[in-house]
Amino acid sequence: MDKDLLGKDVHLKLPCKLCHQGDDSIVSKDKAHKGLVRRPSDNLQKCAMCHKKIVETYGKSLHYTTAGQREGVRPRFSPSEFKAFEEKVFEKSCRSCHASCGDCHVKSPPVSGIGLGLIRGHKFVKKDEGKTCAFCHGGRVYPEFTGEFGGSPDVHYQKGMMCMDCHRKAEMHGDGTAYQSKQAVKDRPACISCHRQMTSPKLYVRAAHEGHKDKVSCYGCHSSGQYRDCSGCHLGPGSKSSAGFRLGLNPRDGKSLTTLRLVPAVRDTFASAGIKMEHFDALPNYWDSPVHNIRKRTDRTRNCDTCHVEKTGFLTREQLIRDGSTANSRLICPIRPITR
Amino acid sequence: MKRRSMLLAVVMAALLLPLAAWAQVLDPVVSTDWLEKNLGNAKLVMVDVRKVEDYKAGHIPGAVNVFYGTWAIKKGDLLNELPPADDLADAIGGAGIAADSWVVLIGNTAPPPARFDMTRVAWTLKYMGVDQVAILDGGQEKWVKEKKALSQDMVRPKARPFKGKMNKGLFVSKAYVADRLGKAVIVDVRAPAAFEGKEKLPFVPKTGRIKGAVNLPVSALYTPEGLYKSKDALAALASKAAGTDPGREIILYCDTGKTCTSWAFVMSSWLGYRDVKIYDGSFMEWAKDSAAPMEP
Repeated sequence: MDKDLLGKDVHLKLPCKLCHQGDDSIVSKDKAHKGLVRRPSDNLQKCAMCHKKIVETYGKSLHYTTAGQREGVRPRFSPSEFKAFEEKVFEKSCRSCHASCGDCHVKSPPVSGIGLGLIRGHKFVKKDEGKTCAFCHGGRVYPEFTGEFGGSPDVHYQKGMMCMDCHRKAEMHGDGTAYQSKQAVKDRPACISCHRQMTSPKLYVRAAHEGHKDKVSCYGCHSSGQYRDCSGCHLGPGSKSSAGFRLGLNPRDGKSLTTLRLVPAVRDTFASAGIKMEHFDALPNYWDSPVHNIRKRTDRTRNCDTCHVEKTGFLTREQLIRDGSTANSRLICPIRPITR
Repeated sequence: MKRRSMLLAVVMAALLLPLAAWAQVLDPVVSTDWLEKNLGNAKLVMVDVRKVEDYKAGHIPGAVNVFYGTWAIKKGDLLNELPPADDLADAIGGAGIAADSWVVLIGNTAPPPARFDMTRVAWTLKYMGVDQVAILDGGQEKWVKEKKALSQDMVRPKARPFKGKMNKGLFVSKAYVADRLGKAVIVDVRAPAAFEGKEKLPFVPKTGRIKGAVNLPVSALYTPEGLYKSKDALAALASKAAGTDPGREIILYCDTGKTCTSWAFVMSSWLGYRDVKIYDGSFMEWAKDSAAPMEP
């Protein structure tokens, strides 16, 4: 703790023990630190002493509940399997990814046992996306956004935008509803919120937007290229990641074309917990992915043949993961040649 | 006699006219003090190439942010490659830069590879047809160390369509380099141990150097304080390695195509070498090709 910070932040005008416990009347460090609470905000009520309204909604937010991880896989289980999953896997493993207040505002959370430490020397920061969002969402999203994985960076980052320029505070703190997944959240960021009208003076640009409207997601054309794909998750030795790019039908509606990312659950992912996943084939292994490497121009916007003739990037039967879900084949999109 | 002298002067002026169009008016390396005095110069566009989050934490007042990833991208295995020209033109116009603007590039100087972000961007701007480009000596760190003014206001430049005359020859391919072996001066700017084949970076397939290359390490550019050495000192180093003929074709390379832009920028913009190119794929591409001539 940097002593110079004391008094410079409203939180640091308060006695340490208010949040961290211990005894500040004792000079001996060992004795003063007896009963010290290292992560006070793991108990949300600590923050609720001053930030009652935020805590009320935050306790139900997806960042805190991580309900998306539970509900996302639920259809693969029978009712008894789901009960076992909740007890043996979700609470002990998936839930460890929940964020407390301090993880975003004071100290970067440890991910796989590694943390970046205090964000700004124990100052309470409103936001510092490059250190907080980027750390938990740094496996895929953030390096895609900044271009570190290769290809061009997201045009929004290039123009100086950060996470919170699209993702609003209500998404972080919740709105009081305990959503089951992010898809259920209303008012999520959408390209069309800012890019309401296609006003290009170029006829082919207007025609392309009109022709693909409701058939192809914005990402389908404007993802600049390869993004990070994971494989080998839940298999024991750990996940591997590699560059990939896949276009296929969105499993949520079964008809619109979009960018897909492999979510590599395999049939024996939860075997060690005694869960067979009786309905494994109820869900595919590929899911629609809001990739964060958006560009105005891409190989597909530069040349229609990239999709309509060369079929570059389209998910094919040969690419499907071995022993994956039978639902995967439903995502293969037949590509039609351009007709005039 | 007087008439002959005048005629000679006119002929010389006519001969030099094409060079004058290329002449660097803006000093290619500017000091923090110079920049502080010129903050209000309407012709000047300051471009901060650091990451967005670093820029937002504090930047030189008036500097626009166009971070490094805009100017050089990873393509396949190669780490620093040119983005499409239309994307580059958008970025340049979006930053309010015109072909005749004076551009000062601001970046980090630590860790050491970061300082070459500025020169790679400078080289790319010259490739796109912006001639008056300078590097801030000592970068952002020196400005901060001197406690000069900082701003956290995001600068929104007035975008304008960019039209510059591209100098496509500034970046060359492996095939071009292979063709020029024994004809052009090939300059390896890596550390002597890499040049001599004693060590390599992990992502470089093999040790060694391009056959016939001479060594001019990037570390020789800077004083112990991390600032550029004097023009005379740099001229002496460059001429020892690459010769004194300002018209001789010189091709520089490094491991990834970034650090070599440091000497390329200094040699062409400051020391008067007129035919300087960089090999974009550099040694990580060359060493991958078993047919590419190498030594030792």
